[in-house]
Amino acid sequence: MFKKSMWYSILVIAFVGFVILANGFYQAILVTTQANPQPTSESAPLESAADLTPSSKNPNTIQMLILGDSVAKGTGDEKSKGFSGYLSEYLKNNTSKEIIADNAGIDGLESTGLLEQLQSHRLEEQLTHTDIILVSIGGNDIRSILTLNSFDKENEFKVRLDRYLSNLKLTFKELRRTNPNSIIIFLGLYNPYEKATNLVDSQLLNSWNFNTQQLVETDGKAIFIPTYDLFKYNTERFVAQDGLHPNSAGYQAISNRISRSLEMIIAGL
Amino acid sequence: MFSLIENEVIKMISKKRLLFVIAILVALISVFAYGQHHSSERIKTQLSQRMGISATTDWHKLADQQLIELKNRLDSPYRDEKDKSALRVRIEQLQYNLDNDINPLEQSAAKFTTKFMEQSIFLFLPLLIIMLASDMVSGESSSGTIKLLLVRNVPRWKVLLSKFLTLIMLEIIVLFFAFVLSEIISGLFFGFGGWNAPVATGFKLVAGKLDTSSVLNVPQWRYTLMVYSLAFFVSFVVGSISFMISVLVRSTAASIGIIMSTLVAGNFISYFLSDWKITRYMFMVNLRLTDYLSGSFQPIEGMTLLFSILVLLGWASASIIISFVYFTKKDILV
Amino acid sequence: MPQTPVLELTNLRKTIKGKDIVKGINLTLHPSQIFGFLGPNGAGKTTTIRMIVGLIKPTEGSVKICGYSVAREFVKALSNVGCIIESPDMYQYLTGMENLLQFAAMNKAISQQRIKDVIEMVGLQHRVNDKVSTYSLGMRQRLGIAQAIISKPKLLILDEPTNGLDPAGITEFRNLIRKLAYDEGMTVFVSSHILLEIQQMCDIVSIIKQGSVVKTANIQDLLQDNDKIEWQLSDPETAISLLREHWNIQASQLKKNTISANIGPHPLDKLNEFLISEGLALTYCSATRNTLEDLFLDLTVGDEIV
Ligand SMILES: Nc1ncnc2c1ncn2[C@@H]1O[C@H](COP(=O)(O)OP(=O)(O)O)[C@@H](O)[C@H]1O
Ligand SMILES: [Mg+2]
Repeated sequence: MFKKSMWYSILVIAFVGFVILANGFYQAILVTTQANPQPTSESAPLESAADLTPSSKNPNTIQMLILGDSVAKGTGDEKSKGFSGYLSEYLKNNTSKEIIADNAGIDGLESTGLLEQLQSHRLEEQLTHTDIILVSIGGNDIRSILTLNSFDKENEFKVRLDRYLSNLKLTFKELRRTNPNSIIIFLGLYNPYEKATNLVDSQLLNSWNFNTQQLVETDGKAIFIPTYDLFKYNTERFVAQDGLHPNSAGYQAISNRISRSLEMIIAGL
Repeated sequence: MFSLIENEVIKMISKKRLLFVIAILVALISVFAYGQHHSSERIKTQLSQRMGISATTDWHKLADQQLIELKNRLDSPYRDEKDKSALRVRIEQLQYNLDNDINPLEQSAAKFTTKFMEQSIFLFLPLLIIMLASDMVSGESSSGTIKLLLVRNVPRWKVLLSKFLTLIMLEIIVLFFAFVLSEIISGLFFGFGGWNAPVATGFKLVAGKLDTSSVLNVPQWRYTLMVYSLAFFVSFVVGSISFMISVLVRSTAASIGIIMSTLVAGNFISYFLSDWKITRYMFMVNLRLTDYLSGSFQPIEGMTLLFSILVLLGWASASIIISFVYFTKKDILV
Repeated sequence: MPQTPVLELTNLRKTIKGKDIVKGINLTLHPSQIFGFLGPNGAGKTTTIRMIVGLIKPTEGSVKICGYSVAREFVKALSNVGCIIESPDMYQYLTGMENLLQFAAMNKAISQQRIKDVIEMVGLQHRVNDKVSTYSLGMRQRLGIAQAIISKPKLLILDEPTNGLDPAGITEFRNLIRKLAYDEGMTVFVSSHILLEIQQMCDIVSIIKQGSVVKTANIQDLLQDNDKIEWQLSDPETAISLLREHWNIQASQLKKNTISANIGPHPLDKLNEFLISEGLALTYCSATRNTLEDLFLDLTVGDEIV
């Protein structure tokens, strides 16, 4: 009989299913409550980098601290030099000064992350002794907006910008609390997708840069270095294979700008 | 007891309610699968327009770069140890994709089957269960057949228990069909593989923040199993509660109405009153158990998987106790 | 009596929402009796039956079936009962056969053969594989009886079983019940508000009115001790006063020359002799057998139909 055989199939499925599901339920509880069964890390965290940098104050050396995202870190540079490399090359050739740089850049960092990093006081040591602070931040804050469809883009942009600006304000406060005298170099954002960008996106990016610059200027010893114009017709030349970060030439170009702007000041340090 | 359950199952089959539930599943899964297929195509074209690359062919390059970037990040001395295990998990996933030539941008039946249940667990699945559970006792009350059941030489609690066990069996059957149907239907769209791909889980809540320090990868099939198990638990709880209402109320329509409005109201409550402490003890806001696995939950202090499970268990046992006490005592006046 | 009674109600009471619906019923039924429970609508028959089969709990008093208390030994007590209450509600979406299988499955003692026998007994063999939703009321009634007797109960309880049946159906049904009582040795408890039913079917009858039993008696006794005589004679007034004075019989005048009276145990021939000897011209005399109807109406007079 049809119903009879259906009853037997249901019985078997239900019974087997129950055993399997009970097992899965147990696993689910285990996985969310137990500590990680994988070995967590190879060794203790490598916080020692900070201690290695000599804190001696040599008149011919300039201490520089690089903060922020992957651009600060130098991602995309096939020569792996980054800002510290190009800047020190320049100084070596044009002045008697030498740069000792600390790079605390983290890939994918957003303004919130930078603020947390500073508030955690992990960089306290380096911050107090540094002469120049180079900051690149904001690219990751704005990046995900540009992929949204234009419907909620502008609203979302306002929200992000506000959050970003307030983070930035606090970041400056934090920097100045630890080190009131250093020069802060703040990099503007460029558009890596120049070719595929519409007008709205460009406007948003410009408005972002504009607001950032305004805020940076309120600090007396900070300078905003724009990069937008530099990259606009040079994406082919300056953007790396990944289509996002500057390549070696790009880093070189930005570094040149920074050097020109700061030549006089650096010489006086 | 066994033959009592058999009786209940035969009634359920003949009533065609189960068939109806399965038909709804087929319809919904087909629509979802088609939608997923459509939107993943759209994402791919967007991607290729924006980045000037083709997501179907160039994903290796993208993944390679991302992998390098991730490894760099992992090496950064300024990174918190806590974030690192999340990074490692991500690296493992990408490495797996590269090693096995699986485009992470592509859907798979395994992914879809899991996603479907994750999305169904707080509303759609409960609704299906309610359709079955609400009729179990009140259906017999309104048709008068309850009289025939209760004048046999079988004690009332046994009659009710057989109904309850039948309900549990049907919950499993519904999950079984949800699984099999979404595997088959989405398999036609996306192919049938993907069961060994790693999935990140093991998120925890520490001091009100998402803690990723114990994140680990499990194979997709294990993750899916956990998702369906939690869905079974949710079905059990929702089933018990609607079973109770079915015992208390004589008309099936009324009992479906009561439990459904409670459920829908619960979704509103968790949206508007999430900071009101008492809401976390309501069963409706605790149904999204799978969010704890995927780490996509709103971190609310004090809410963990275990907490939610205990709250739900409390509701279920209260419902079961009330059902049995009331049913064995009540006067049958229909 | 040596046998345990099949059904024993002791001071059974039920109050629902402050309303006394059954007010202390005492009743004892012995094996193989057909018992009629007669009362107008709303008298409390169904309520009493519900208490007997344990669907509702008595406010007071107890029910014993074959010596087992329904309250304390539910399973043993109910093993001896089959019943239809109010209407033969079956699972509409199952066939007649599937319905019977459902109930058979609840009792291990029921064999396939028994199911077949029962179907034949109620005469459903041609339609048993059709869905119940396609059945006529008569067929449902038969199926109801089939499920009630399937476990060979000692006590069969039927609540208003002929409701909605046509006259032919009623006759057929009556014969079926008779057959069951004699062939299967069941004690049958039939409730009805239709007097004729009870009169034709039952051995014993209880009349219930507003929750209380007002009379319980053997049907034969009831019919006999209520013989009513009609006389057609010359001087009714004199006859009435003579009967009152000499025989203590209350007679009443029906028509111009006709009187009638219940004569009770008095022999009719002596009465006639007496009347003639007193000089009355007796032209016609008949004994009209009083049916229960008068009694029923007498006893339940003033009862509202609910
Ligand atoms: N659930 C109830 N609540 C209140 N009164 C009821 C209920 N059920 C029945 N009654 C009342 O009890 C009385 C007896 O009903 P019932 O036993 O069904 O009468 P019968 O079967 O003799 O026609 C009626 O007056 C009816 O109105
Ligand atoms: Mg009635």
